[in-house]
Amino acid sequence: MMNIKRVISSIERKYIADNLKKEERNDGRGLWDYREYNINANTIESAEGSADVTLGDTRIITGLKYEVGTPFPDLPNEGVCTVMAELLPLASPLFERGPPNEQSIELARVVDRGIRHADCVQTEKLCIREKEAVYILFIDMYVINHGGNLIDCGGVSALTTLISSHVPEGKLNDNDQLEWTGNYLNGKVIVNELPLVLTYGKIDDVIFLDPNLSEELVSDGRISISVTEEKVTSIQKSGAATFSMDEVKMLANKSMEIGKKLRKDLDLWQYLFEK
Amino acid sequence: MEEEQEVEDFEEEGEVTREIVVPGETLTEDVKNFYPGRGAIFNKEKTKIISLSIGLKQVRKNYMNVIPLRGFYTPRAGDKILGVVIDKNPVKYKLDINAKDLGMLKPKNTITRDKRSMGRGGRGGGRGRPGDRNSSNELSTARFNIGDVLIVKVLSADRLNSPELTTVGKYLGKKMGGSVISIGPQSIPRVIGRSGSMIKLLKNLTNCTIFVTQNGRIWIKGESIETERLLIEAINKIANEAHTVGLTDRIQEFLETELKKRGLK
Amino acid sequence: MPLVIKDEYPEKLFREDGKRLDGRDKLELRPIKMEVGVLNNADGSAYLEWGNNKIFAAVYGPREVHPHHLAKPDRGILRVFYRMTTFSVFERKRPAPGRREKEISMIIADCLEPVLFLELYPGTSFEVFIEVIDADGGTRCASTTVAALALADAGIPMKSLVTSLAIGKIDGELVVDLSGIEDKAGEADLPCAITWYNDQLSLLQFDGDMTLEEMNLSLDLAKNALKEIYEKQLNALKSKYIAIQEETLKQQENSTSGGEE
Repeated sequence: MMNIKRVISSIERKYIADNLKKEERNDGRGLWDYREYNINANTIESAEGSADVTLGDTRIITGLKYEVGTPFPDLPNEGVCTVMAELLPLASPLFERGPPNEQSIELARVVDRGIRHADCVQTEKLCIREKEAVYILFIDMYVINHGGNLIDCGGVSALTTLISSHVPEGKLNDNDQLEWTGNYLNGKVIVNELPLVLTYGKIDDVIFLDPNLSEELVSDGRISISVTEEKVTSIQKSGAATFSMDEVKMLANKSMEIGKKLRKDLDLWQYLFEK
Repeated sequence: MEEEQEVEDFEEEGEVTREIVVPGETLTEDVKNFYPGRGAIFNKEKTKIISLSIGLKQVRKNYMNVIPLRGFYTPRAGDKILGVVIDKNPVKYKLDINAKDLGMLKPKNTITRDKRSMGRGGRGGGRGRPGDRNSSNELSTARFNIGDVLIVKVLSADRLNSPELTTVGKYLGKKMGGSVISIGPQSIPRVIGRSGSMIKLLKNLTNCTIFVTQNGRIWIKGESIETERLLIEAINKIANEAHTVGLTDRIQEFLETELKKRGLK
Repeated sequence: MPLVIKDEYPEKLFREDGKRLDGRDKLELRPIKMEVGVLNNADGSAYLEWGNNKIFAAVYGPREVHPHHLAKPDRGILRVFYRMTTFSVFERKRPAPGRREKEISMIIADCLEPVLFLELYPGTSFEVFIEVIDADGGTRCASTTVAALALADAGIPMKSLVTSLAIGKIDGELVVDLSGIEDKAGEADLPCAITWYNDQLSLLQFDGDMTLEEMNLSLDLAKNALKEIYEKQLNALKSKYIAIQEETLKQQENSTSGGEE
């Protein structure tokens, strides 16, 4: 297909839309098929957890860093986990350099909510001393190549980073100084749930899973649904398209089903750091 | 209707060595007998001829050339290229032509001058008699819309100004349906082939209409999405193996095998 | 409250057996891996692993200048954006670019410009984006080296490649290719780069304590080591194409076709 880097033509749009009506996609997939996920964990020496994830042509590299600080006043015995995203100009001529814009903020927030509302991160285990010292985990996602559907790729990248984590365990000694115990808090301690986010595009009433770049540029809108094994934990609809209630129910169901299979196939616990 | 492309001979005489060279690499130290040709220059001391980019070394008569394997498109007058309308105002269209500047298309360069062709709709170009002008189209930008794919000719291009384009001419104008693919402009001669051998092969075996343009973009239209997909794979294979020998035969073999395997034709 | 688990600067930078802390000899380079064409949306790209350094470079150009007032009417402009991810260093780096990154961006741009023909592309810009995702000493040198590859991969005409490396002094000894800890704890650091078309230096900085003799010797040591790295750059650019040539020749031998195009 046209090597879309920034410009989409009406031929491209028509091609994609017409073929979707026949349930055919420009890369040969079915409407509910994912592209291939490829994961490498703990590739970054300087980070306390990392994941290099590709989904088709989309590639996101995420790293975990920690600090020790004071907790939020209303959550005195809980640590903090915060997610950030940057769309690097390396990834696409569509990304301009500069501070995070709407698109990168949306990516960070959707991934963050998928993790947060699944109670994925055990923030109580990140407490060193109530009201005084907790871990603050920074999950920073960098989009290295844009091939469409940054959200799903980002979700897997963030989750794998948490699973691969090895945060030095600290204790306050008698002089109230922070000391390393020699152990690490790893994914087994920090991660409790495996939420996955599934994003669907919509073009002219046809809905399909995991839009690639050209589909995304032509989409009227999209919807992202985060699921655990048991339930839907968050939803985000964006773009100008509308979805009927039946469609949303159908997609929620489909997401549970596809999510279960994907979780099994990815087998993310294999990226656990064990020393 | 068969549409033939004007094809340039990609390789006339001249021996392409199949040797891959990189920027700064020595092509020869025999500066008495050779001159730097396309893609090559003398070094500072004029003691050798070096390559300017990554490419294939080619010796043609007493010129050292480098056929680039990577590159970008620079518009030249006379080029036939494929552009996408990305903006328009009342006095001109702006097209993305895969170059550093947008191409400018003025309404006067889109006018069909032939009364007979006005009934055909959609396509610009045609033989004309001066004075037969559709006055409502003459100076407005109503004909084309944002997103339209146009095959245009470059009227003028220089380093400082945006290139001027026209849709007036044979095979020029708006394309409907089909697909557009983009490969590097340096691979285009390979898709055409020596004396058009490659493009004829592609057309005959896939029965697709194929327009190859200088800015690396190709418009194709086939009988089915599967044939188009196969043709796209073949074109990408050509681009990927452009620097190898025996390519035409291999593409023929690839297409014949795949057509059979996929049950096409 | 910092949780300090990484050591303060070690006492000695050489081991008992005379090797450096990572096992290298004085003139030995760290392992280097390079690859071009890794990002398909950029006009040119390359990736490099140099010791623990991991760096991406992508090039866009020639293209329009944004903001427009920076455009030059008689030549193109080259801009380099050297950036590091928050997790590329031991203590999390703030996401926004700091002064160090801006200085290094400028130095790398000044280093690459001599090999380009900017006067052929008036009113346009060439932009090089460098992202360090893991850092361990010598990132400006590694970044320059990988940026040169990305420019070549973009098909931009160049007089030659550029290769860069840091020489330094640790525990009184001159060594080639400082690692992170050697850079921090050593006595002197001399990053440099060579443009091969005229065999001259296009990047040169120096910090620390060296005699004139040591400085002269450092430059000599640099030349040889730079050649070694240059060979790797050549290989990275050519290997993809050579591999395809060999593969197709093999296919040809296995099939019946006659082989000329």
